[in-house]
Amino acid sequence: MRSWSRERSWEVLLALILVGTIAYNATQSDVYLDVDNFVNIFRLSIEKVIIAVAMTFVIVSGEIDLSVASVMAFSACTLAFAYDSGVPFWLAIVLALVAAAAAGLLQGWVIASTGISSLVVTLAGLIGFRGAARVLLEDRSIGDFPAWFGDVGRADFIGPMPFGLVLFLVLLVLGGIVLHRSVVGRRLFVLGDNAEVARFSGIDVARTKVLLFIASAFVAGVAGVLFAARLGSVRANIGEGFELDIITMVLLGGVSIFGGSGTLLGVALAIGIVLNLRNGLGLANVESNTQTGVIGVLLIASVLAQNALDRLPLRRSGADAQEAAA
Amino acid sequence: MSSTAAVARSPVWIRPERIKELSLIGVIALMLVVFSFLVDDYLGGRFFNRVTTSVAITAVLAVAQTIVIITRNIDLSVGSIVGVSAYITGEYVRDHPSSSALVGIALALGIGLLLGAVNGTIVAWGRVPAIVTTLGTLAIYRSWLVSHGEGRTITADSLPSWVVELPNRTVFSVGELDVRLIFAVVVAIVVVLQIALQRLRWGRRLYAIGSNPDAATQAGLPTRRLVFSAFCACGALSGLAGFLFLARFGNITVVAGQGLELDSVAAAVVGGVSVLGGSGTLLGAFLGAVLIDVLDQSLVRVPQVSEFWRNAILGALILAAVVADAAIGRRFRRRWSAEARPHTRVEPAEEEKEPTHA
Amino acid sequence: MRQHKLIAALACLLLFAAACGDDDDTESSSSGSDSGGSAGEAVTIEGGDDMNSILLPKCTGIAVFDQANEGAQEAAEELGTSEPEFLGPSTCEDPTGQIETMTNAATQGVDAVMISNNAGEQIQSGVDAATDADVSVVSWDSPIPSGEGESLFVAQVDFDETGVVMADMALDILGDEGGQLAILSASPDASNQNAWIEAFNTALEDEKYANLELVDTVYGNDDSDESYNQALGLIDSHPDLKLIMAPTTVGIAAAGKAMTDEGLCDQVKVSGLGLPEEMRGYTQSGCAPEFALWSFVDLGYLTYYATYGIATGQFDAVEGQKFTAGRMGEYTIEKDPTRDSGLRIVMGPFTVYTEDNIDD
Repeated sequence: MRSWSRERSWEVLLALILVGTIAYNATQSDVYLDVDNFVNIFRLSIEKVIIAVAMTFVIVSGEIDLSVASVMAFSACTLAFAYDSGVPFWLAIVLALVAAAAAGLLQGWVIASTGISSLVVTLAGLIGFRGAARVLLEDRSIGDFPAWFGDVGRADFIGPMPFGLVLFLVLLVLGGIVLHRSVVGRRLFVLGDNAEVARFSGIDVARTKVLLFIASAFVAGVAGVLFAARLGSVRANIGEGFELDIITMVLLGGVSIFGGSGTLLGVALAIGIVLNLRNGLGLANVESNTQTGVIGVLLIASVLAQNALDRLPLRRSGADAQEAAA
Repeated sequence: MSSTAAVARSPVWIRPERIKELSLIGVIALMLVVFSFLVDDYLGGRFFNRVTTSVAITAVLAVAQTIVIITRNIDLSVGSIVGVSAYITGEYVRDHPSSSALVGIALALGIGLLLGAVNGTIVAWGRVPAIVTTLGTLAIYRSWLVSHGEGRTITADSLPSWVVELPNRTVFSVGELDVRLIFAVVVAIVVVLQIALQRLRWGRRLYAIGSNPDAATQAGLPTRRLVFSAFCACGALSGLAGFLFLARFGNITVVAGQGLELDSVAAAVVGGVSVLGGSGTLLGAFLGAVLIDVLDQSLVRVPQVSEFWRNAILGALILAAVVADAAIGRRFRRRWSAEARPHTRVEPAEEEKEPTHA
Repeated sequence: MRQHKLIAALACLLLFAAACGDDDDTESSSSGSDSGGSAGEAVTIEGGDDMNSILLPKCTGIAVFDQANEGAQEAAEELGTSEPEFLGPSTCEDPTGQIETMTNAATQGVDAVMISNNAGEQIQSGVDAATDADVSVVSWDSPIPSGEGESLFVAQVDFDETGVVMADMALDILGDEGGQLAILSASPDASNQNAWIEAFNTALEDEKYANLELVDTVYGNDDSDESYNQALGLIDSHPDLKLIMAPTTVGIAAAGKAMTDEGLCDQVKVSGLGLPEEMRGYTQSGCAPEFALWSFVDLGYLTYYATYGIATGQFDAVEGQKFTAGRMGEYTIEKDPTRDSGLRIVMGPFTVYTEDNIDD
């Protein structure tokens, strides 16, 4: 065990839990192991998992972005509002994505230039952008999108997988490469570990933070467009409460809330656990709020367990290993 | 130790907190003036009564949240605590209609205290960061309530009349303005707690561990117990807010109170409480809650502005409050803490030139 | 997977053609298909086979849906079959809970889902998943807008008539001088409320309602706090308002409480669709002099019977089909005139409640 790093042992633990969850669910329902069912499981939560990938980058860097669900709604509402006002649909999509990126730019710039903690700024964003979504759509529900858009959201794209799921898998792989194998990723780990050290090693902290929040918001914007495609209509209150699941997926995946460590593989496994757990509970007719309670327990337990693991003499990878190697 | 004693000695009126509170009162007054031009019959009995009734719950929650935020933590589960407390207390008084008000209040407080203690235990001894803990307990408490309640709603007509009529009881009236019992009680609580926090050693220690946790631990403060106590206090107050919620709305669903946590943090932040801990007053949080509520109630009345701007404006307000706090407050705090330790007094200009020196 | 579905579809058609009667197999037929359903005599629905079903209300915690559940349980007992699972999201604000339950039903392999649709058109993906898995989908109280995948809509009353009933009550309350009124509805996605509001607007165009002015429509999402606050918002932004019309039991009760709390019952009246149990106090105080409803217990009962008949193959859901549903009597399936497509049966009468008959 000593040769295993902290991340590796966490991933193994997650893998075991994932297999256990799936195995249990499979005993409760014959159709559980169908490919269709697994696709469905992702289908129902595709926006959350996509945002979770982006959130990993944010938390690894020592920040947090509480506004993601609100930016998602804001972006979807921009799409709906623009389309409803007669803007050509492709342009409405572009506007939605631009709006999301702008939201990220605003938050990132405030965080980088004033030094105010990302918790507070993105909390203001959570409230503010939800408000912006309400200003656009008020309490109306806008739908009637072009048929091809609904197909993108719902129909099979590659094999039995819809477009959203394919996009998620692509993001996961690309994200893994960027986070763990590129200079950019290494910088984020260093930043999360110690912002002062990062500054002294020549990293442009301010610029990195701004780009980080733009990227996070942009992904939230993409999720918003996907949501509109999947559900066929948009309201200002969509995505309320997504933050809990998203943050759970990331923290359960072994990413430290303080920044500086974690793996995307861990997050991927955690995503699998959360989704299968929710689905298994749903099939047992456990109501959604109760499911959320279980997720809450999982969240706290994962940090408690990580604290416990910290006391074991396990090698840490990531920034620490690089310091040791340098 | 000497710093805390010095704090008590320095003149109260130059503190940054006082300035923040005064500026909040100023902003509220400004808003009232501006809106009175935009809306007919704005300043009147009905508006006053409406604001005082609706602000009561958020004011109590803002105060509760502030106690936790001062220690550099946060409690996102207050909405769920309000829900559980309102629902369970509602069930109890519905099934025991002859019970007195005190029993109901005690029950609500007790439930809140218990739930707050759970939060405090996990944060203080489990060393799970408060944002993660309370995000989790937000879900856990709510899910317990949902399965306990089995989806059933407590209806206003099943409750004894003293509960439902509580919001209407007035202490005294000045012309059209009714000072309602609940509002008076809330104001009293805020004042008492504010004094407690400033004068009692417990209160000063809370500020200490919030402004510098490491130094506080090294100075021998029982940090974990203090954090635990902060969460307990927050929980108990949230439980009380649950009782007020029950009295005000009557109909309690299993999702009652959802979202109140954001309102409480917003009120605290607007009221000048710094999320980094160590500064801000309960009075400020109270004024923050009043400001937000006045804004809310006013927006509805202005025909030109739709109510949907409410959240957008609130978000901007929070940002403005925080930026103002960062820009202005920092300068004051430096001077204030320099006064508290006269032997370390340095000219502010020199300090700024050498930021990297410890 | 597509091959899978193709074979299943072929199998269904073969079974259809063979016109087999009482199987345990469920068959969901959409409108317009030719079949062995006799348009002449009414089919009496009888028990015998078991049916696993889900009763899916808009959300839980609302008395009228609990009543519908009572009715459905009664029907299940009479037919000697398993009780329906009463599942619903805990809040009416978020429609995704219904979509999830509907999609999960496909995986669970239940025989039928009875839904009061709160997700507007968004429910379609869930309905499609369910019908693909041979789950019968029957809607009640609030239909699926497109009518696709839905075997039948059990309408409590005619939706166009609802608009007229509300308009008449408004006229009754406001009198000849008329005045301003506003609507406090439920969710903006709710197909039934939206249909009623549309019908109300159309009804108001008639001459005799000329003095009634509809100034605002707001949504309380069937949440009592939100509805309460919306009611207060209405009187704040429209000081001359004389009537709040709430076509939802949660809204009307919340509006009644709001007006009572503000002491405005003399100026602003409350009406709409309400439960006598919840509204008694407000009617006696004069706040809500008149409101209407139907029996949700009966609605649940009838829905269960109809669903049972369809799921067990005792009759096909086609236009003209007649059936007898236990104590509710005989019904004929007709095309739904209030939607572009879809079939419905209409249950029964409105009851208008006033001070005089509220204690009955």
